[in-house]
Order: sequence, then C-alpha cells, then structure tokens
Amino acid sequence: MPDVRLPDLGEVDEVTVVEWLKKEGETVAHGEDLVEVETEKTTFVIEAPQDGRLVQILKPQGEKARFDDLLARID
Amino acid sequence: MTTSLHGSTEQEIAAVHLPLGRAEYRATHELQLRLHALRSQGVIPDTILSVEHDPVFTIGRRGSRTNLLVGKDTLEREGIAVYEVERGGDITYHGPGQVVLYPIVDLRDHGKDIAGYVRGLEQAVIGVLARLGVEADRRPGLPGVWVKERKIAAIGVHVRKWVTLHGLALNVRANREHFAMINPCGMKIEAVSLDDLVDRRYSLAEVISNLLEAMETLFGWRVVEEEPERFLKERG
Repeated sequence: MPDVRLPDLGEVDEVTVVEWLKKEGETVAHGEDLVEVETEKTTFVIEAPQDGRLVQILKPQGEKARFDDLLARID
Repeated sequence: MTTSLHGSTEQEIAAVHLPLGRAEYRATHELQLRLHALRSQGVIPDTILSVEHDPVFTIGRRGSRTNLLVGKDTLEREGIAVYEVERGGDITYHGPGQVVLYPIVDLRDHGKDIAGYVRGLEQAVIGVLARLGVEADRRPGLPGVWVKERKIAAIGVHVRKWVTLHGLALNVRANREHFAMINPCGMKIEAVSLDDLVDRRYSLAEVISNLLEAMETLFGWRVVEEEPERFLKERG
C-alpha cells in the first residue's frame, strides 16, 4: 500500500498539519492537492503521489510531523 | 546557508522584477496566482512583484479574525479590506508606506529548502537595514525582522509545486494606527517603520532597489526590470 510521507523540505525540523484537502475514503488523482502543512510562516501543499483511494490519515489536522513521517496511506 | 539557495550551479539565475507601484490587494493576488501557474509550467523565470498596497488586513491559513481588534464600521471608515489568504502565519497589515515583495520562485532551483528561503528573505531585509544604519535581527521562533522588541518586516509564504507565493512586507512609513487595529501574527506586537529609526526619508523605490540588490546576492539572481503589462502580454 503506497505511503504518503513528509517530503524533505530542507532545514526544517517539524511541520504542523494545517488541513487535509481530501477525506478518508475519497479517491485522489496523482498530483492532486492532498494536505497542507506549515512551518516557519510557510504553508506547503503536498500532492497525491499516485491515483487511488485515501484509505487512512495518520497525522490529522493540528499534529506535528517530521521528515519521512507517514502522513497517510493510499490504496 | 546562502550558497544552498544558489542551486546546483554557480551560474546566475535570470529573474524579472515587475514594479506594480500602488495597487489593490485582490488584483495583485490574482496576478500572483497567474504568475505562479506560469512559473510552475516553466514559461517564465523567477519573478518578483514589488507593490505598495491600499490598506488591507490579510489572514493566513492558521489565522483568526479574533486578532482583528476593530469592527466593520471602523474598517469601512478607514477603507481597509480584509482577505483570507493561503500563506502561512496569522493576520498582517499592508498599506501605504510599506514595501511589499512577492517573489514567485521555483525552489527547485534554490536547494528545495523552504526554511532556507524564508531565512534568505529575512537576511535580505537585515542586510539592507544595516546598510541604511539600522541594526535589525531575527527572533527565535518568530519569523520576520525585528528591531529590538518591535517588528519592522513581516514574512509569509505559500509553496505549491515547489513554487512560492506571497513574500515579505517592510515598513518604511506605515500607518501606526492601522497596525494597532490587529494583533499581528496573533500576538501583541508593536510595529516600527524605517522612518522612526533614521533621519533620512528613503523613497519606497530606493528601498525596493536595495532589497533586490541584496536578493541578487542571496539567491544568485541577475534581476532585470520589466514593464508589467508588456511582460504579461509577451509571456502570459
């Protein structure tokens, strides 16, 4: 099952999940906006890595995440 | 820190400066989105908008209207618009007497480091202020540029497809009463302008050209100024 992980954003310790732009159970297309995270006054949009269904969100809104942390699973 | 922003080569990166002069917020925001799409598609190089906005409060993604301390009547009387925008951060003020720069930058050419990019923007402001005789600095955990306890420049950025939107706002002679109508960034922060700190009155154009010069060094750019309408007709 393909994972959605926090990409390498450079010299960033951790980010906060601002909002999931898709809900669990929804279908997503490769390159579609999936989740928005924020660090140091910067918001960053993470896109779906492939087509599929957003099965599980592991870092809900408000949670912190670090590089390579598992954010969600797409099936 | 600065070298990583230059990207993989030591060659200069072509960049365009579009001076908008005085402009309303919404139209400028639409222009940013248009340029973002063009930059994402690789149609245009890194492009920096400079603008002096009509009075406006903008609220970032994690911001709240509770940090807006005045009601609708005051906003209407003062002619201040309010917009919710996609950048990071809370509420901020833009208005006459403030230099705003919106660099539409592909960070894939600048080391893919969003924290490094924000520090680059801050460093440009700090360097220019030092040249004008003002000692300014960062404060840990509080992005922006500070002169002791007072904030002189705000930073707020949005990144999508590794291309940036929004940017920085530096107070040259901003309206103090308008600033007092908000808790900037959700905190009780006092704003300060360049005019409060130096005897000489610098024009916004002088401050803009100083900032662009500093950014050329920091980001490895060679900035060429173009006339906005002509640029968009030819490239957009």
